[in-house]
Amino acid sequence: MIASLHSLTAAELAARYPATHPVGDWVRAHLAPAGAFTVNALIALALTTVFVSLTALFLVWMERKVCARFQLRLGPNRVGPFGLLQTLADGLKLFLKESFMPREADFFVYHLAPLIPITSSFMVFCVLPFDHNIQIADPQGGLVYLAAFLGMGVFGVLLAGWASNNKYSLLGALRSGAQMIAYEISYVLCLLLIVLASGSASTRDIVLAQQGTVLDWWLFKLPGCGALGFIIFIISSTAELHRAPFDIAEAESELTGGFHTEYSGMGFSMFFLSEYANLFVASGLGATLFLGGFLAPQFGFGPLDRALELVPGCVWFMLKVYGLVYLYMWLRWTFPRLRVDQLMSLEWKFLLPVALGNLAVAAVLVALGWLLP
Amino acid sequence: MSALESSIVLPPGFEPATDGREGEAYYLNMGPQHPSTHGVLRLVVRLDGETVLGVVPHPGYVHRGIEKMGENMSVLQYLHHTDRLDYLSSLGNSLSICLIVERALGLGVPERADYIRVILCELQRIASHMLWWGVFGMDLGAITTFFYGFRDHELITQLFEEVCGARLTLNYFRPGGVAQDVPADFLAKVQVILEQTRRSLDEYDRLLTKNVIIQERTHGIGVLPAATARSYGCSGAVLRASGVDYDVRKHDSYSIYDRFAFDVPLGRNGDCFDRYEVRMREMAQSVRILEQAVAQFPAAGPWRSKELPQYKLPAGSWFRWVEAARGAFGTFIVSDGSLKPVRIKNRSPGFSNLSVLDEIARGAKLADLVTILSSLDIVVPDIDR
Amino acid sequence: MGVILEKLPPLLDPLPGGWRMVNAIDAVVDWTRANSLWPLVYGTSCCAIEMMATGAAHNDWSRFGVEVARASPRQADLIIIAGTLVEKLAPRLATLYQQMPAPRYVIAMGSCAISGGTYYYDSYSVVKGADRIVPVDVYIPGCPPRPEALLHGILKLQEVIRRESIRHPREPRPLITVPFEDVFSATLKTWAEKEKARDAAEREARAQFKQAHPDFKGYAHKRVVKPAQPALAPTPRTSPGLAQQAIAERVRALFPAAQLFARPDAMAAEPVEFTVTPAEYLPFLRALHADAELALDFLVELTAIDWKDRFEVVVHLLSTRLGHKVFVRCALPRDAGTEIASISHLYRSADWHEREVYDLFGIRFAGHPDLRRLFLEDDFPGHPLRKDFSDPTRVVRRPY
Repeated sequence: MIASLHSLTAAELAARYPATHPVGDWVRAHLAPAGAFTVNALIALALTTVFVSLTALFLVWMERKVCARFQLRLGPNRVGPFGLLQTLADGLKLFLKESFMPREADFFVYHLAPLIPITSSFMVFCVLPFDHNIQIADPQGGLVYLAAFLGMGVFGVLLAGWASNNKYSLLGALRSGAQMIAYEISYVLCLLLIVLASGSASTRDIVLAQQGTVLDWWLFKLPGCGALGFIIFIISSTAELHRAPFDIAEAESELTGGFHTEYSGMGFSMFFLSEYANLFVASGLGATLFLGGFLAPQFGFGPLDRALELVPGCVWFMLKVYGLVYLYMWLRWTFPRLRVDQLMSLEWKFLLPVALGNLAVAAVLVALGWLLP
Repeated sequence: MSALESSIVLPPGFEPATDGREGEAYYLNMGPQHPSTHGVLRLVVRLDGETVLGVVPHPGYVHRGIEKMGENMSVLQYLHHTDRLDYLSSLGNSLSICLIVERALGLGVPERADYIRVILCELQRIASHMLWWGVFGMDLGAITTFFYGFRDHELITQLFEEVCGARLTLNYFRPGGVAQDVPADFLAKVQVILEQTRRSLDEYDRLLTKNVIIQERTHGIGVLPAATARSYGCSGAVLRASGVDYDVRKHDSYSIYDRFAFDVPLGRNGDCFDRYEVRMREMAQSVRILEQAVAQFPAAGPWRSKELPQYKLPAGSWFRWVEAARGAFGTFIVSDGSLKPVRIKNRSPGFSNLSVLDEIARGAKLADLVTILSSLDIVVPDIDR
Repeated sequence: MGVILEKLPPLLDPLPGGWRMVNAIDAVVDWTRANSLWPLVYGTSCCAIEMMATGAAHNDWSRFGVEVARASPRQADLIIIAGTLVEKLAPRLATLYQQMPAPRYVIAMGSCAISGGTYYYDSYSVVKGADRIVPVDVYIPGCPPRPEALLHGILKLQEVIRRESIRHPREPRPLITVPFEDVFSATLKTWAEKEKARDAAEREARAQFKQAHPDFKGYAHKRVVKPAQPALAPTPRTSPGLAQQAIAERVRALFPAAQLFARPDAMAAEPVEFTVTPAEYLPFLRALHADAELALDFLVELTAIDWKDRFEVVVHLLSTRLGHKVFVRCALPRDAGTEIASISHLYRSADWHEREVYDLFGIRFAGHPDLRRLFLEDDFPGHPLRKDFSDPTRVVRRPY
């Protein structure tokens, strides 16, 4: 399918973008298959853990710096260079805080809830293609897997709200549940649009399907549909992330802290970390689906293209991701919050029909073969 | 009513639901420590899902007994306590007392002092509205507006500091004038502030007023009809947003407000957006007053009429109100001829403006309750006194 | 985690070089705690505005990582008590403090939070210092303190935290429990002694100076001359709306029993005032409210005066359309069961005003839909605005 869409054959693609990493190859060459698999998995796990924690800490710092700049301030700048260690201090302090729970709270669920969102964002990290050979797993149904685990995060919020035995938490959790279920639909419809266009649900194949110039990215290539899909993706993923203008689950001015009102110390830091890990995941997904993932931007202009090609794919991926992260932050620090019923009507009365129509139009375009180069 | 429902003990201030659905409602306690109750107001909300069925405000969490204290000191000593009532329009508070003392003792005010009073009062109105604007945005989730509002508020605060030595609790007006003369570059600084305010008002409009979410969230929310507003004794922008044309500066003029041309902005529907817009337009009108006042400002002259050794009010009672930033702030002093008043009572605008909350928040969503409360623009120590 | 940390020193210290490890842990722990102070969103009055100004762009406490203001006490490390603390709020403050996970810190911002400040005397509801309720770590004087002062206070708190060690877990300071007069009289005594010592030292120094410089004549001080302030006559003013004569005639036609309150000549420009008996009070107000010609649609305020021998209920009415005001007075006998009719069905705003008068004066309003105390706790003894109210456990009388 990919081959039919593009000038390169599958074999050429595989040669140009080898799927295996030299480190993994080296391990496989020196160990028996079972041992190699274990060692590789452990390496991947360690790297993911370090990367997710560092990314989340960095994103928190970045958010505080970005919002400070939006708000005519300087932001943290006393702890470490440019205040970079500020979030490390915050994280360690949360770790060292006294941990307790409300007397009437449900012990098991109260402690389980913060683990769910962070687990789900870890799982999703596994299928993000950082580069053509830096990806932990590339299942054929990558996007299905992704949608499943992205949807799991809401359970943490729901359970936290329920277990805390606090009306604010419960209200926040219920709002969040309604919101996630609603926005999941248009979110998944956007994923479906890309699956339809690229003919594969594997994240790596989706990126490779965007070979060519910048205009071959799904953002531009599907005439109109891609751009519309991208906008819907940004809106619904902002809602999935509980970020302003869709942060009604936390809604500080109404619900004090929403679902995490009763969480202190570690529990709270888990929610906090997963929020930012999810921010990275959403941006990474946006970059993968619409912005050509790890592919270098090509402008159909020989020397420039070759120069851009020299930069490794993971750098391009990170640049695109942080571009999107900045977009999310921009939205958050500009817009007021929607009300819960407005949020619902925006999804059910506007976004969902538009996303469905968009998908139908895209389906017709694909069926007619208008996408072919 | 079932046995279960009749056994429910309701929070104070609520009456059982008349439709027999008491069991479906639940009660949410907001405050005294809550980010959107602007201090330590406590609200108990009866909710059905997210819909507000009733609100009972519980003020009194900063009730400091300031009126009792006023009975044990002279009026002049009481003057600086009023700064701490509505600390965002502290000058208006002390002005009402100064006007009473001047009336009671037959003191005149030099022209320069009158102009200083008007300029500072209007600056404070602008500062207060800017702060409100920032907090209003924050209550609706746009945290950035808070910093923009405070940026401009800070500029005015710094001028106050230069004039009076304090940033917030100014204690500057005295019976018969003001405490000391303004610094030499006062007018130039006011000009700078006016320039900045004009720019800021433009920026505010672009940042918040025209935002589609703000429009969606404020139009038709918390509608306060004119008759209800009058009956509840609302004042200030809350009253005028409902279309009632009453501004103390215009209709019960004091100081030298009758010398300036300005309009009283009125709303049509009395919803949150009207209250928002009335305040925004009030800032523009204050700028207009300030322009005229700066142009007419007497270059030199005394800033206070002859000081008396003692400001002892004759027997009698006086009431005077002024248009503070939040509405009509009044002071009622009853004297029996001795140095200390028998009764000193402050009519605070927030007190009456808040009492209307239950009436206009019914049927709104929980998030709207925050919007409505914010649009009423209360200062809790002003309510509690 | 903090609990586990505190168990480390006895285990590690005996080991060779173990004290170094404990010191290292100390350094890290103190570094994290000092650099990550998340304040609780909590402010009661004027100081809260300066606290907000500290967070705003001009002063920007986010530079020190303090901007993560949490609305939930579970996630906060620091309460900045910004503003007056009154008795009704005190239990809530204690709850908030208990809801915060350890280690928790308290800054008392402003003189009200330190000692009751300007409300120390004569106030029946202000707590004379927040350290009677929660242990305070840093005191910031001022009324209100400037934002710079708050930043300074936060830096001082960081200093305090940096001196902490897991070897000696931090004990919160004990609360102050002595009656408030004691604190004040003790302070006065120390002050007086210090003054006396300083006076003696100065006298000594002056005498020595005189001996050393017998020719010294002293400096010629230039007095700051205050410009003469002119005695001015007030500008005459008239009340807006209907003329006083017209109002008086109209009221006489409406309700002949109402007496025009005789005012001294000096108050000619004040609004007209009528006195009625308690029995006439409600009918009179009903007549005023219903009259279209006077159009009194706005209740400015309803309050009471305690004349020691009687109460007086005062009602101020306004016509928003025409602009005139009409004041009504009604004298009431001063006994335990003082009662007057409620007018909250005529003017809705009277609802809260009557509750306030009931709360502070103990005057009951018959027919009021919800006559509860407005400001004070239900179990507050007595009605504080009565002249005979005295409560030595709450009120410090002004000594001058």
